[in-house]
Amino acid sequence: MPTETFTNEVIDISSLPKYEEIALQHPHSDYWKIISINLSIFLSIIGIGAAILLIFIKEISAHMLVIISIYLVLAAILFLLYRASFKKRGYAIRTHDVIYKSGIIAESTTIIPLNRIQHIELNEGILSRAFHLGSLQLFTAGGQTGHIHISGIPIEEAKSIRDLLLKKLDLNDNQTVDPEA
Amino acid sequence: MNNDFSKPQRQSAAGIVIMAAHTTVSIGRAFIFFIIYAFVKIQSAYLIYVLLSLAIIILGSFLFAYLWYIKFTFFLDKEKQEFVVNKGIFNRDQVIIQLDKIQQVNINQSILQKIIGVYGLKIDTAGAHGEEVSIKAIDETSAYNLKAHLLHKKVADENQPETGTEAQIVEETPFLKISSWTLFKVGLTSNYGQSLALLAAFFYTVIYEGRQLLDTFKIDKNVIESTVTGMLTIVTAFILIGLLLVVLLVINMVRTFYKYFELQISQHKDALLLSSGLIAKKNTLVNPAKVQITKYSQNYFQKKLNMLNVSLKQAHFGESKKGHEMQGNTMEIPGCNPTERDELLRMILSKLPETNTTFIPNWRFLNLPIFFKLVLPVIIFLVVALNVPEVKPFIAAAAIYLLAGIVMIYISYKKHRISVSDEFIVKKSGIWDISYEIITPAKIQAITTFQYPWHKGLDVGHLCLHTAAGQIHFKYGNYTEIKQLANYWLYQVEHKNESWM
Repeated sequence: MPTETFTNEVIDISSLPKYEEIALQHPHSDYWKIISINLSIFLSIIGIGAAILLIFIKEISAHMLVIISIYLVLAAILFLLYRASFKKRGYAIRTHDVIYKSGIIAESTTIIPLNRIQHIELNEGILSRAFHLGSLQLFTAGGQTGHIHISGIPIEEAKSIRDLLLKKLDLNDNQTVDPEA
Repeated sequence: MNNDFSKPQRQSAAGIVIMAAHTTVSIGRAFIFFIIYAFVKIQSAYLIYVLLSLAIIILGSFLFAYLWYIKFTFFLDKEKQEFVVNKGIFNRDQVIIQLDKIQQVNINQSILQKIIGVYGLKIDTAGAHGEEVSIKAIDETSAYNLKAHLLHKKVADENQPETGTEAQIVEETPFLKISSWTLFKVGLTSNYGQSLALLAAFFYTVIYEGRQLLDTFKIDKNVIESTVTGMLTIVTAFILIGLLLVVLLVINMVRTFYKYFELQISQHKDALLLSSGLIAKKNTLVNPAKVQITKYSQNYFQKKLNMLNVSLKQAHFGESKKGHEMQGNTMEIPGCNPTERDELLRMILSKLPETNTTFIPNWRFLNLPIFFKLVLPVIIFLVVALNVPEVKPFIAAAAIYLLAGIVMIYISYKKHRISVSDEFIVKKSGIWDISYEIITPAKIQAITTFQYPWHKGLDVGHLCLHTAAGQIHFKYGNYTEIKQLANYWLYQVEHKNESWM
């Protein structure tokens, strides 16, 4: 333990910065296009499969209307759910932590303190590259659930966030002068 | 090849072969039945197509491997102390690993790698994927060079792995010893679930194998089944159940003795040394700073016998999919008495956790489990029972189930508590085995809070603390309080910059 000038004043918990009141940044609006394209690809694959079945299997073609309406309802629900989740996503970088909010039904907020980040990954998919977007992944030692995956950040911003975080990580590490070293 | 890895570089060109082989094998494995089928069933006229498609697969693998090789570069950023890997054929992925976050660097060689004369290198960090980076082909000197560079800072650490060191242990007087008599009591009172599972598995195999035997020897099954059912009067049923319980206890006892015989703990430099085992003695060194979650639990019997089970959970990094690299380990110390527990806690946490404020869940905690575990099954059962006359006599069982279920869920609600003080977080939970999980705020890796939209007006929400040894949940708490706690813990983690390992 460092025996430097050590103060231990009482903390007023209610005056601590509140993570829930931070204005969050939302994914870029182009990211919705990517989600839509991905969904459309997924739906058209299923649609083609269903169409083939409808055309070639006589017994099923009788229920054509039911199947088509189920398909349409499913597609609409999927789009609505993704739209809802897209609307809810948000992130913020504070001096000491990263906040990410997401969720389709339940709203969940995950906060990772910067000094707990293990490593950072910046990914660009084919589609994302076309829209100049990227996704950042922050890994902690807290297992699968302790990760943050922020998608749909403009690539320049994503890169600068990455650099910023990496710089902060370095600073943190220099501050913790390992007592055993 | 340069030796300091400061410039982006590719792997050894042999990597193409390795990767191609790897891809071919994985494709082959996926289609193995198809391929075999094709060879066996298809007429010779079509064989050419099969061979052609195989050739295409192999060619494709090589193409894939070549592209992968071209795109895969790595280098060491000396200034930032980072290891950077660029990869991805269609996607462009960049993995950045800070050198001091690296837990392990493994160098190994598969058969193919041996033939070609290259090595594979894997880097483990404390992240969730077992291996974040795996370089498939690198020559020997570079591999060891790279390893030395990667672990440069950590050479000192490397010499004292945290588990399994057996050599040169200075004999010190153990401060905790579990006697055989205590172990006997432990065997009587704990781990029924595991033993029951073991027993069930045993019976299943016996019955299954028995059936097979009967089938092969053409013995008339009906004869045996009728004698067995004939034997099953109520008296024999009771005897059987009694016998089963005895067997269960014996198995429990044997397992406990096998694992924990002569368990003792001594202090050894700045680590705790646990040793136990009946046939093979296992020694484990635990560094108190590396224990993430300290847990003790007790059930009703154990409370009467005045003993507890303590377990120390360490970080489980390197949890690879194959499972054999599991570093995560939980040290169990069964049969402590409260004074010994306190001594252990003091050893690991440096002081005893005092409980300051206790938070209790909202009664809505009961809703979901009661609905999904009690109401729904009972309704289904009743519907079945009213329609199937054979089940009707057992309708009373539903009432018993409902009653027992309500009591159990209510107990779990009553025991679901989280107490918070400046230095500790204690989570209490359980129905039969009541457990207390203790962490210090510094062990928190990430905090998640979440809320269902229909709980917004009620101000009810959930909390999940992610640690390197698992999560700690607190459900259906007051959301304002939870948010306040989260802010406070964030402040503690970010302000002090205490290391968690």
